[in-house]
Amino acid sequence: MTRARIFFTGVGGQGTLTATTLLARTALDAGLPVTSGEIHGMAQRGGVVESTLLVGGYKSAIIAPGEADVILGFELLETLRALPMLRRGGFVVGNSEALQPVGVCLGRECYPPLEAVLETAKGFAAQVVLAPCISLAEQAGTAKAANTVLLGAAAACGALPFSVADLTRSIEKYLKPKLVDVNLKALALGAEAAKAGQAA
Amino acid sequence: MGKELLKTEGGDTLLLLGNEAIVRGTLEGGVRFVTCYPGTPSSEAPDTFFRLSQGAPYYFEYSVNEKVALEVAGGATLAGLPSLCTMKHVGVNVAADPLMTLAYVSAPGGLVLLSADDPGCHSSQNEQDNRIYARLGGLPCFEPATAQECKDMARDAMLLSRKLETPVLLRTTTRVNHVRGPVVTGDLPATPYEKPFVKDPAKYVPLPASARVMHKRLRAILDGLVAEADASPYNVESGAGELGFISSGVSRNYLTDVLEEEGLVGKVRLLELGLTYPLPENRIAAFLSACKKVLIVEELEPVLENEIRALAQTRGISVEILGKSEHLPRLGEFSTANVRQAVRAFVGQPAAVVDALTVPGDLPRRPPNLCAGCPHRAAYYAVREVYGDNAVYSSDIGCYTLGFLPPFRAADFLLCMGSSISTGAGFARASGKPVVAFIGDSTFFHSGITGLIDAVAYKHDVLIVILDNRTTAMTGHQPNPGVDTTIFGENPNPVDLMALIRACGVEPVKVNPLNHKATLAALTELSKQTGPRVLVAEYPCPIHARRVGQAKKTLPARVAGDPAACLTVRDNLACPAFAMVDGQFTINAEQCDGCMFCVQLSPDLKPGKKEAK
Ligand SMILES: Cc1ncc(C[n+]2csc(CCOP(=O)(O)OP(=O)(O)O)c2C)c(N)n1
Ligand code: SF4
Repeated sequence: MTRARIFFTGVGGQGTLTATTLLARTALDAGLPVTSGEIHGMAQRGGVVESTLLVGGYKSAIIAPGEADVILGFELLETLRALPMLRRGGFVVGNSEALQPVGVCLGRECYPPLEAVLETAKGFAAQVVLAPCISLAEQAGTAKAANTVLLGAAAACGALPFSVADLTRSIEKYLKPKLVDVNLKALALGAEAAKAGQAA
Repeated sequence: MGKELLKTEGGDTLLLLGNEAIVRGTLEGGVRFVTCYPGTPSSEAPDTFFRLSQGAPYYFEYSVNEKVALEVAGGATLAGLPSLCTMKHVGVNVAADPLMTLAYVSAPGGLVLLSADDPGCHSSQNEQDNRIYARLGGLPCFEPATAQECKDMARDAMLLSRKLETPVLLRTTTRVNHVRGPVVTGDLPATPYEKPFVKDPAKYVPLPASARVMHKRLRAILDGLVAEADASPYNVESGAGELGFISSGVSRNYLTDVLEEEGLVGKVRLLELGLTYPLPENRIAAFLSACKKVLIVEELEPVLENEIRALAQTRGISVEILGKSEHLPRLGEFSTANVRQAVRAFVGQPAAVVDALTVPGDLPRRPPNLCAGCPHRAAYYAVREVYGDNAVYSSDIGCYTLGFLPPFRAADFLLCMGSSISTGAGFARASGKPVVAFIGDSTFFHSGITGLIDAVAYKHDVLIVILDNRTTAMTGHQPNPGVDTTIFGENPNPVDLMALIRACGVEPVKVNPLNHKATLAALTELSKQTGPRVLVAEYPCPIHARRVGQAKKTLPARVAGDPAACLTVRDNLACPAFAMVDGQFTINAEQCDGCMFCVQLSPDLKPGKKEAK
């Protein structure tokens, strides 16, 4: 049976937990055993939001360092911060765009460059795909769909035990009708970006 | 998750949060009366009951605090209704007084207490282990580990409580409350359960003479329950061999995954415990007798370990028992990582080498922060302007605890919810220093008011700033007795905060903290006075206002003058909408809430113009 540990990380308000739940539903619909974990609390106040999805028969809903088959990073700095969770040969699929933390906004700290993710993961991850999720989501119709762009990218590059078609079905089935179109567009843009990124 | 939870027929597979599963489980167990005081990680359970409460088959309230919640639920079970009371672990301390006698007095209609513990202090001031309360208060205890178990054990806790007419503890931990997994539902009861009350004071009034009898009755129930625990389907044994593992709660998940990955399934013995108080003593004794060596895997205190050691000694079983150690500490949460090391050490394998990346330790942090437009920020700004570092700041628990962070540094100490006024009073009396005590509206109702009465009675020299954002923001914007609006519209019976304070004997001063001049003037005036003083800084939390549809449409602020002249405001206010772009101060229009506080602090900042957006 497909077994996968997926680690999600992002910033409050980015839809990290919504994306996690959508993937959990997709797994259930595929008949896969699934368990998922969330840490609530500070999400609304601009803090880091982390969640997990473990597919294929795991009991634990947590992921320890070196255990994640996939890191889905909804924000660049948080993707970098989460890299120690990755197992050798795992996938990193992330948003290449930044949401600056306070210290950076106020000019007290420096935001790491995109290359930091690529260089750190080089030779350890099987693949690193970074896509401008917020811009692509805006192109699809709303920045709020950036989480779906990322899911599209992850599915298209083979990081998830699901296909883009599986996710299409889930979006149609589980999202509010008025959000479906924009999210389908976002999913497709994410998938395209991943394929283009892989080719490059 | 919505109405599916109230569906009469079972048999559905729903993807539920642990807390939602608890809602369904207690409904299947016939719950008709629900009280709570919110607190992470328990809150989604009462919040779900609240959301579904209109036309639902139960009564629901957000009680004023945990003691009241348990007492109200206690009344309901005495009246014969199956009752649920939910809280976070530290809430049980507040409810401990009624709790310690509740099991004496009994729970005729059934009563389940949900205690959501927080190993690792994800969102709490301590990581106490409330399994100990089960022992202290004489409550049978269930410890679920998965969403399905949350549902099943919540139901069975309620059924057991109804059967024995004794309160039962459902003890969860953060990872269990916030697990999300498939849950197969059962049916809701066809007829509502009720056990009509019959007057019998000797049974329900614990005077010394009757209390002694009640205590004896309780012990008999608990002793009788050992056989039930021995036979419970929640206490399961598997595997074979001389090496044994005993585990409960979420640690079971980590242990099963590790045993599987280490290829040990079937080669070692495993005893998983779900009904953990009273312990299934005979089951455990037999397990111990079959093993040479046993490792006990439990988070936090060595509760099982100590009781199992005592059991082995009492029964004369010679077996090596291992538990708390370097790999399985008393502190913090467990994970597959430390359980793996403990298992490997136990079976004589070398430590696992973790193959993982490292990243620089000095990455910019992303600490939680008061939101843009938060009225607490404005209040802290004004207090700092008046007192600077000359006052000692007694803080309390809520969003406003984030005033701890620079630039406000408005928290010098904190004990527990509702402590800021009383602890501040004691500090002021003992030190003679000026003290400002901050407290939120929900926290004031919860247990701050008793501190205020004390401050009035003994003329404690403390300036109390009630940060009244019209909601219980920190834990998810639950209504509290003072709120005007909930998701269901206007609160029909709001408690008048100002009148309450006045009745305690202080004439409170009310300001809108976003009106800087007025707030500063009020604080300056109050700072010249002595004795107990109260400033009510009232302005709705912007998130709450948006949620109940009361947010005003506003334009973002903008830098109209010299950006370089705004740096003092940047440093002293630190609104998350402030940004430096190419070395120049600016306001991020996306982030700005339009509260117009900053524009009162600098002539270089101005309200946005209509065409700007
Ligand atoms: C005894 C206890 N119960 C519950 C909690 C959880 N809790 C933390 S903050 C808070 C609410 C604070 O609300 P309020 O005082 O209105 O402040 P706000 O967050 O709105 O600023 C609660 C319920 C706790 N820490 N301790
Ligand atoms: S108006 Fe000023 S203080 Fe208020 S949210 Fe906007 S930038 Fe922050």
